[in-house]
Formats: sequence, C-alpha cells, structure tokens
Amino acid sequence: MSRILLITGSRKGIGRYLAEYYLKKDYVVIGFSRSESDLTHANYKHILLDVADEIAVSKSVRAIFKEYKRIDYLINNAGIASMNHFLLTPLSIVSKVFETNFKGTFNFSREVGKIMSRQKFGRIINFTTVARPLNLEGEAVYAASKSAVETFTRVMAKELGHLGITCNLIGPSPIKTDLIKNIPKNKIDDLIQMQAIPEFSEFKDVSNVTDFFLSDESKMITGQTIYLSGVN
Amino acid sequence: MEKSRVKDIIIDSFNELLETEGISVEVNGNTALMGSDSVIDSLGLVTLLVDIEARLSDEDVEISILSEKAMSQKNSPFLNIESLTEFISEQI
Repeated sequence: MSRILLITGSRKGIGRYLAEYYLKKDYVVIGFSRSESDLTHANYKHILLDVADEIAVSKSVRAIFKEYKRIDYLINNAGIASMNHFLLTPLSIVSKVFETNFKGTFNFSREVGKIMSRQKFGRIINFTTVARPLNLEGEAVYAASKSAVETFTRVMAKELGHLGITCNLIGPSPIKTDLIKNIPKNKIDDLIQMQAIPEFSEFKDVSNVTDFFLSDESKMITGQTIYLSGVN
Repeated sequence: MEKSRVKDIIIDSFNELLETEGISVEVNGNTALMGSDSVIDSLGLVTLLVDIEARLSDEDVEISILSEKAMSQKNSPFLNIESLTEFISEQI
C-alpha cells in the first residue's frame, strides 16, 4: 500500500521538488498552497488553503483521512521570509511571517498528529533555517519564527514520542529558490562563507535528510535538527 | 445527533481506552475523566478526546472539543462523562 504524504507549500521551490521526488517513489502526495499548482500526477492531489487558517486545515486533514484512511508523513515546508533590519520592520510583517511559519506548522502538526496518534505511527518533519543558529542580521523576524518552530517541534517530539510519532527538523542552507531571490548577492556570499561547507545546497541535499527522517528505521530519531552545510 | 448517541460514543471510546490500558471499572455518566477520582491520567484524557473527535467525525459531526471555550469554562467540561456529553451536545 502506498504511503500517504502531506507537504505544505508544495507549489514551488523545495516543496515542489519534494512532492515530485516522493511521487517518483510511488507515494501518494497531497500538497497544499494558497494558489493553484500545475503539478499533475495520478498520485498527486493539490488543495488550496492558507496554512494559518485553522478551520480550513482541520477540515482538509479530516477529509484526507476519510478518503485515504491514514496519513503516514507530514512535511511542514510552507514558509515565508522577510529580510530587513528589524528597526525597519512593520508589525504587520511580523504577524504574517509568524502566521505562516509558526501557526501553519502548528495547525498541520496538531490535526495530522491526532490522526497519527490513532495509527500509533507517523513522521513529522518541520523546516527551520541556518539563519537561526547563525543569528543572521537582517533576518530577525524570520529566524525568530523558525526558533519558535524548533522549540515547538522538540516539545511535540516529547508529547508524541510514546505514540510512535517522530518529529524532526531540517535546516537548509541557501538553495537557489524564490526565498532568497531578493537577498543581495554579497549577503548570500557572506553567509555561504560562514558554513563548514561553503557551497550552495541543492534540493537533493534536502531529500537526503527527509529520506532519513521518514524511514521506518528512524523510529528512534526524534526531536533532532539537521542543518545542511555544517552549520550548528 | 441525539444526546444519548453522544454519550454512547464517549462511553465506547472510554471503554476502548480502558481496555488498552488494562483497567477494569464500571463506566457511567458520573465516571470521572480528570482529577483524583479519575482512572486515567492527563495523557489518557488527551487520547480520549482525540478519539471522541474522530468518532464524531466518522459520523459527519465536525467539531473541535479542545476549543478555547472548553478551556475557559468555569466548570471544566472534562470533569466526567455527563459534563462532556453536555458540552459536546451544545457544540453540535
């Protein structure tokens, strides 16, 4: 029986790559974003929603469970970034970033966690960033939102550990996606020089880590964070 | 959904939880779900509430038991099976 995987933010970037990657592995993939996806595949379903919309997330997750009878994996990839000096950051941006990055992760984790707790099996992967351990200037709000995701994930790992559910984090270093397209080149170059491996990461570096976390053999791996490029 | 059906769902779910935990007690409306008289701990209560929500969903009743309203009530709706039945019936 195919494994059922939910990925938020699957329209583009890392989420899109992961959706296609796991479709190739014969998983059933259900992706979410606020706008339409052009990804078509017999085993792919796209659902339009805002991850911060509690009721929409709850209804969608329940409907998916009714249709597929289980949910094996959740990858909370949806995220937005705001690169600016914090003195120049309006509170409305802070709200937006936390709505998507933290509340979105919370909403999906809670609703899918309820189903996984009945199954006594599940894997949840949340996204953080190397901007968090590096405390990057200009990324105060984004890094703080991911700091919240990290703490949330570690506590969730404890609360769900006895139910056969693991919760882990991946922190990608810069990959050439839309998320970093507006950051000046010299800023990205400086960041890459802070890494133990001073290179851009690739999508396949991310799926290498998600494969590890999702694996049946990783049942004792929970509450852990893997940053790419040797950042810690 | 009739109140009696809500109560049946709660009792079925509770009995299943007790069976899993290897606990044998007689269950009725006054059976405590929290506090010193309860035979289940706080994690057991979480499991029970999640399971009841799912059972209601199976019968096309979509509610969130763990709402802000539930948390803010003067008398907790999770005290016993009767109070939980009342609370859920009000939500439907």
